[in-house]
Formats: sequence, C-alpha cells, structure tokens
Amino acid sequence: MVNVKKIVSNWTYIFPAMTVLTLILIVPLLFTLWMSFHRMPIGHPPTFTGLSNFVRIFRSPIFYVSLKNTFVYAFPAVAIKAIIGLGVALLLNQKFGGRGILRGLSILPWAIPPFIACVLFWFVYDYRGVGNFILSTLGLKPIHWLGYHYAMPSIILVNIWRGWPFFYLGFLAGLQAIPAELHESAEIDGASSSQRLLFITLPLLKPVFLIVCGLSLMWTMGDFVIPKMMTGGGPVDATLTIPMATYKIAFLMGLNYPLASAYSVSILPIFAILIYFTVKQLE
Amino acid sequence: MQKGYVRKPLLAIFSILLLLWIFIPVYWIIKTSFAPEVEVWSMGIPKNPTLQNFKDIFVVPRGAMAEVAGTYLSISPTIVTPLINTLFVAGIAVGLTMLVSTIAAYNLSRFSYKGKNLISCYILFAYVFPPFILMVPMTIILSNVGMFDKLTGLAVVHLAYTVPFATFMLRGYFLGIPRELEEVAMVDGCSRLQALLKIVLPLAAPGLAAVAIFSFVLSWGDVIFSTVLLNTTENYTLPIHIGFFLWGGEIVDPGRLAATAILAGMMPAVLYLGIQKFVRMGLVAGAVKG
Repeated sequence: MVNVKKIVSNWTYIFPAMTVLTLILIVPLLFTLWMSFHRMPIGHPPTFTGLSNFVRIFRSPIFYVSLKNTFVYAFPAVAIKAIIGLGVALLLNQKFGGRGILRGLSILPWAIPPFIACVLFWFVYDYRGVGNFILSTLGLKPIHWLGYHYAMPSIILVNIWRGWPFFYLGFLAGLQAIPAELHESAEIDGASSSQRLLFITLPLLKPVFLIVCGLSLMWTMGDFVIPKMMTGGGPVDATLTIPMATYKIAFLMGLNYPLASAYSVSILPIFAILIYFTVKQLE
Repeated sequence: MQKGYVRKPLLAIFSILLLLWIFIPVYWIIKTSFAPEVEVWSMGIPKNPTLQNFKDIFVVPRGAMAEVAGTYLSISPTIVTPLINTLFVAGIAVGLTMLVSTIAAYNLSRFSYKGKNLISCYILFAYVFPPFILMVPMTIILSNVGMFDKLTGLAVVHLAYTVPFATFMLRGYFLGIPRELEEVAMVDGCSRLQALLKIVLPLAAPGLAAVAIFSFVLSWGDVIFSTVLLNTTENYTLPIHIGFFLWGGEIVDPGRLAATAILAGMMPAVLYLGIQKFVRMGLVAGAVKG
C-alpha cells in the first residue's frame, strides 16, 4: 500500500513534464516520420507512397548541395569556436588585473539573442559597414560579404562570434576543476609551461571538450536562425543548409510538407548518432 | 623575472584582441542608434548624438519601409505590438516552464525509483534535440487543434526549448540543498508537497529566478517557431518585426533598426549578465557532470 502510494507520487511529480515533452517533441517527431512516407495532396486524404519522397530527394542535386552546405557550415564553425573558446579560457584562467571584467564581458555575445547577433552583422556586412571599413584599412578591396562567394564564410563568422562563449564557459569550468597540485608537482619535476599544457591541461579537458563539441555540432548543424536572418539560404543556394531547405520546401516554394519532412528525416541518422554519443558523455 | 616581461605584454595584447573581437559589432550598432540620419553610415562616434531613433520606433513612422517596397505594406510599423507580443509569449512560456520543471526537477533530485535513468535520458534527449525538425509537423498539428497563429500556441511550443533545460538546471540546484531539512519537516508532519513548497523552494529562490530568466531569454530569442507559426501582423514577435528592416538585402532606416535591435537585445543581455554566476553553474550542471 505504502509502495503503491510512493510510486503514484513519484509519477505525479514527473508526469506533467513527460506529457509536455511527449506532446511537443515525440508526437511531432513521429508525425514527421510518418509524413515522410506519405503523399498529402491538398484536398485529398494522405496516401502511403513508401520511399518515393526519399527517392526523389536522393535524386535531386539540391539535396546534396544542402547536405554539403550543412557540413561546410557546421564543422569549421565548431572547430574555430573551440579554438577561440579554449584560447580565451586559458587566457582568463591566468591571474591578472581586469580579469574579472573580461570574464564578464566574454559572455556578452552568448547573452545576445541569435537574431540580434544577426542584426549586428547586417551592419558589419553592409557595403558601407564596418567589414569593408576594416578591409580598406588593411589595404584590401571591399567585398560583397553576403554575395555568392563570401556568403558562407560570412555567416559562419556570425555563428562563431555568437557561439564561442559556450566553449569558453565549458573550458573555463573544466580548467578550474583541474587541481593546482598537478601543475605544481609537474613544475617541480621540471616541466615547462607548454609541456604542462600539452600533457596535463589538454588531456584533462578531453571529457568537457567532447561534450561541448557534441552539443555545439548538433546545434550548429540544426541552426536555422543565422541562415534565415542573414541570407535566407541564398544567394541562389550558397547557404542553403538542411534546416533552410526544409523551411523553403515546406513554407516558401512547394508547400510540400511530406517532401520537407523527408529532408529533415534524411539527416536524422546523423543527429541520432551525435545525440547518442553526447547523451552518453553527459550521463 | 624574465618570464614576467614576456607574459605581461602578451596578456595585454590578447586581452585587447578579445575586447576588439567582442566589441566591434556591438559598438557599431550602439553608435548607429544614437546617430542622426545624416551620420548613420559614418565610422566615428556621432557628432550630434540624438535619442530621436528611440522615440521614432514607438510612434508611427514616416513610411520609409513602404517607400522601398513601392506599395504600402501592412506590416506593424512600431515596436509596440511586437514588443508586447514577445513579452506575452515569453511570460506564458516561463510560467508554464516553472510549474512543470520545478516538480520534475524535484522528482529527479530526490526520489529514487525504477526507470528514473530512462526519464533522465529522455529529458536529456529533449535538451539536445534540434528544434528545426519540429517546424513542419508543429505547423500542421497546431493548425488542426486551432492554435495556429495564436500567441498562446507559440508559447506552448516554446516549452520544447525551455522545459528540458530548466529541469536539468533546477535538478542540479536542488541536489545542492541538503535533504535533511525536508526530512526533519516531514517528521514534524509536513507532506512531501508542503516540504517542497515551504522549505526547498524558498531556499532555491535564486536558482529559480535564474532558471526563469534563462527560459525567458530562450523564448524571447526564438525565430524558428515565430516564423512558421505566426501569420498575421498583430501577432508578430520581435524577430519577425526586425526582419522587415531588411529589404532585398538592403538595410532600411539603419538608425531605427539599431534602436530596435538594442531594445530587443538589451533586455535578455542585461538579465543574462545579471545572473552570470548561474550561467556557469547552469553549464556545469547541464554540460559537465550534473
């Protein structure tokens, strides 16, 4: 009797959260999976079409372009964010005057909502903006930042600018968890500071590194805000990532929900691997 | 001694680089927001700084956007409606999140039972799940239940961002509160719920406030669902409103855009900086070991 009561009370506390998450995550996820195997002409009941949506996208060059763009967008962005984050974390782990202020300011880009970060970079990338001002100061020719050739690196830069503090925060927490005695004893044994960095600090940061990179890789691959606000996936298809392609097919061009579902479902295996790997690290 | 000569200038150089990197884009928007129309594209600090841009965004404008598009566009011309809408959505989302996440986090931090690990995994899965996949099915589902183009519908969808995050952060916070306090209260005749409400929650107040702020910022910054779920001008939120300042890749009315962006970005940024300590803690709780 007591046991039953306990079980019931356990579940009442967790039940609302589970219901909410099931209704707004699992149900839509299953629905999108279901749609990707169907055809839904307007005014007719949906019909099962097997793999035909997938056959269609696997034959379409746009799919491969958007898949390539998703990787070209995410991998360099994550790598550079990790490098900047690590550098700043190492810098602000040193003791010096003004460190506190710098630590506070370093989370500013992360504190700015992504869509505002995009507005900041609208000004940077305008032909009269600060981007071309910096180029001309360095003696270089002004460029079309959001033109076909530069659009992808430009939006990657926006992602880096807004996202690196996440790595910095993770790495700083990791650095602070390394006991000082380790460094002291290594110093007594005659290890130089670069040796200590290479053989003590970096190996001990590895768990944090894996988690932060895993999370960031997923969020960057799934990023919709920056491509949408900066270029809308254009010019032509220069910044068309999978999330942008899903959006365009579903809401702008064809209103083809099943095909759009197939786009997002086709990238799910990659996310599933990343999610599995990251959740395992987090546990 | 010799080490110090290298170290200090190096620290200074890297610190300055860091500041430049953070502040170049931010400086530009701040100076533009205070610039009169003739000076919006000049590099330096405005010679005649003005607050006109901040006033302009609250009153009906001269129609600069309509000129560019050629015809009059029925878009929300002032910041007032989108600002209220965004606040409304974030308010509801935060309220619901706190209600649901507090008890879930309490459950995860205090009870032990079969299947708890599975539930933790489920919530973690929700935390890392990329929300763009929900874009299409959510639109159809909300249309079918009559919540499409409704601010309350949008707020409920925002729980997909906020609930997993808030639950994990609060769980970490509750784990830091000694459970003996509740046990004593429960011996004295409190029920589990009373113990939670009267003992744990007051002790966790700073953590609750921080989690509420995070949820607020997450909801405030949402672009995906506002874009696909809202359809009428009266319902537009700030991200959509701001989008109208860009026509064909060209910035319309830079002064007012900068002022709008500062108003829309300042609230979350200030709130965030105010709870810095928790930003670290949240990350440690969420990303390192919980």
